[in-house]
Amino acid sequence: MALDYRKCAEDIAKYVGGRENLVSAAHCATRLRLVVVDNNKIDVKAIENTDGVKGTFNSNGQFQIIIGTGTVNKVYDEFLDITGMSAATKDDVKAAAAAKAPVWRRMLKTVGDVFVPILPAIVASGLMMGLVEALGKAIPGFSGTAWYGFLDMAANTAFAFLPVIVAISSARVFGGNIFLGAVIGLLMVHPNLTNGWNAAQGYDVWYMFGHGLKIGNYTFGQINQLGYQGHVIPVIMAVWLMSQIEKWLHKHIPEILDLFVVPLVTVLLTGLVTFMFIGPIFSTAETYILKFAEWLVTVGYGVGAAAMGALYPFTVVMGLHHMYNVIEAGMLSSAEFNNLNIWMPIASAANFAQFGACLAVGIKTKNAKRRSVAVPSSLSASLGITEPAIFGVNLRLLRPFVGGVIGGAVGAWFGSVMGLGATAYGVTGIPGYLTINHPLTYTIMLLISGGIAFGITFTSWREDPDDDDNKKPVENKSIGQSIADVPVELGKVCIKSSGGDVAQPINGTVIPYTKIQDETFASGALGQGVGIEPGDSEIVYAPFDGTISSVAESKHAIGITGPNDQELLIHVGIDTVEMNGDGFTPYVKEGDTVKTGQPILRFDREKIKAAGHPATVVVLLTNSDDFDDVRYGSDLNK
Amino acid sequence: MKTFEYTITDPVGIHARPAGLLVKAVKEHASKVTITKKNPDGTEKSADAKKLLALMNLGIKQGDTVTVSVDGEDEDDTFEAISRFMSENL
Repeated sequence: MALDYRKCAEDIAKYVGGRENLVSAAHCATRLRLVVVDNNKIDVKAIENTDGVKGTFNSNGQFQIIIGTGTVNKVYDEFLDITGMSAATKDDVKAAAAAKAPVWRRMLKTVGDVFVPILPAIVASGLMMGLVEALGKAIPGFSGTAWYGFLDMAANTAFAFLPVIVAISSARVFGGNIFLGAVIGLLMVHPNLTNGWNAAQGYDVWYMFGHGLKIGNYTFGQINQLGYQGHVIPVIMAVWLMSQIEKWLHKHIPEILDLFVVPLVTVLLTGLVTFMFIGPIFSTAETYILKFAEWLVTVGYGVGAAAMGALYPFTVVMGLHHMYNVIEAGMLSSAEFNNLNIWMPIASAANFAQFGACLAVGIKTKNAKRRSVAVPSSLSASLGITEPAIFGVNLRLLRPFVGGVIGGAVGAWFGSVMGLGATAYGVTGIPGYLTINHPLTYTIMLLISGGIAFGITFTSWREDPDDDDNKKPVENKSIGQSIADVPVELGKVCIKSSGGDVAQPINGTVIPYTKIQDETFASGALGQGVGIEPGDSEIVYAPFDGTISSVAESKHAIGITGPNDQELLIHVGIDTVEMNGDGFTPYVKEGDTVKTGQPILRFDREKIKAAGHPATVVVLLTNSDDFDDVRYGSDLNK
Repeated sequence: MKTFEYTITDPVGIHARPAGLLVKAVKEHASKVTITKKNPDGTEKSADAKKLLALMNLGIKQGDTVTVSVDGEDEDDTFEAISRFMSENL
């Protein structure tokens, strides 16, 4: 597992024919993409045998070497160093520029990178949570019903276990193992710990090293038995740490012990450091911020409220906002505040400002993907659940966030001087109407905060057309897999010829076409190639970059034409034409351009089996007569 | 050039296997064989019968009538062979 990037890069440089045979070098998520002077000077066998190389293919004038996510960039860096080439592509220049950006900017970007993939989960939950809470307040007695109980549970699942989702996403961003990331996330919300939402009711502490060393209130080695429900930043920090530990261990642990030692030490060490240091630091900070917030809102003339309105979204970023219920409950029972919850208008102003800013992005953006994130996120924010808007949109683009801060401050100031208050707690934004004392004033306040944030964002934020979001790998919505995740089997080649390589489009056992249990296929009448007995896989991937030339009406066969006019037939199952399309879902249509590793067809093995057919995936180069040196089978990879 | 019309009787139409057999039969001859399918809307779609994917892409089903044209040096032989092949197999 521990890969010597330098050695790998040196070998590749040597076998592609050295610097003089190279025109340019770039890399994508998994592959090193080289443009070479003379393809014949490449020693493909030697490269494929190089430690760290998972496979190669030639496509669109590029010689591509599959190395893998997280490693390819390191090999690439070494490769540039060895060959003396420079990273000349636009993306690379941008990447270099990004590395020079100030630390806080890069941290914001990281938070965004972590959040964007998980937005579907939290947008859904955010909207549902807002609606369910509003219904609970609006319809008397509803909150006691079975329906409310279930809906409330379903709605808050993503938030209750947010650390797990954040941890998995973080592990991907930091290049750690996502399953170890999941373990860290799960550990942080383990049921044995007091739920983070109930922190104010107190929790137990473990003293791992006794009471010997005390620094203020903190005892060295203390572990608060408190979960991280609702937290984001501590989780990202923990998983970052985990990824660093994991990578370091991979490098320094002998391979034979790797699987045994690395995960164990990684999880244990990360868990200890997280709970002993990151946890207490955050708990302490939370306590102080809470005290500060309680004091701040009492500062007169609306100044305190304005300051809190501005600070509020920052506390959401830190995951502190769920503790504010304590303040609100305190106000309701305190004569000092006339039993009025004056916190709620502040929070509402701040949240509604984030709504305004996010909506402005949604309206102004030209990027369809960003709009599809911003609009539902803003809806969720208008109902008082701002995480999707803040993390997914506003904070990433920064200016909308600033607009939200300003709008929130002004709105909160207005609400405070007008004497707004709520008679209950738990809802903000539009559902806040159910608990507010002056609905009309409340409306004006929402308009002020939302309007200012919207205006600032709309006028000051300019979309950068080169933004990361515009060059994200295309996601295949139907199965949620990005092209960057090229499956392992695509590292293997199943047909080679003068027309180019054909990657194995699905995992499984490869047999030569002559062994396929069908006379016609085995006769070679349809061309030479292979049959693949699929393992557990049910998805067929494009085996080279090309164009879809036909999709059978019965959906079980797809023809792809490659750059050198290779006509490839992928036919799933034997005699499956009789199934009339039942059990087959093509992801492409005639005329579509496909990239290697893109899912093109899904099939249902159970249905094929039930229909009494073999599920052999037949891959034939139908015009193999037109090419020289056609070879096929599983031993091409040895 | 010689042409003839033929109505497909194979229940699966000209799908992979029959198409492959047809391509194989056509490839034994030098002449160019073109299969043309008339769509219900009056448009036509043709394919070189030596190209499997193009042929499959016509989406010819049972009951469809296609026009087969043969053009080349050995067109008489080819015509004979292909019309026999089609009536036996398709």
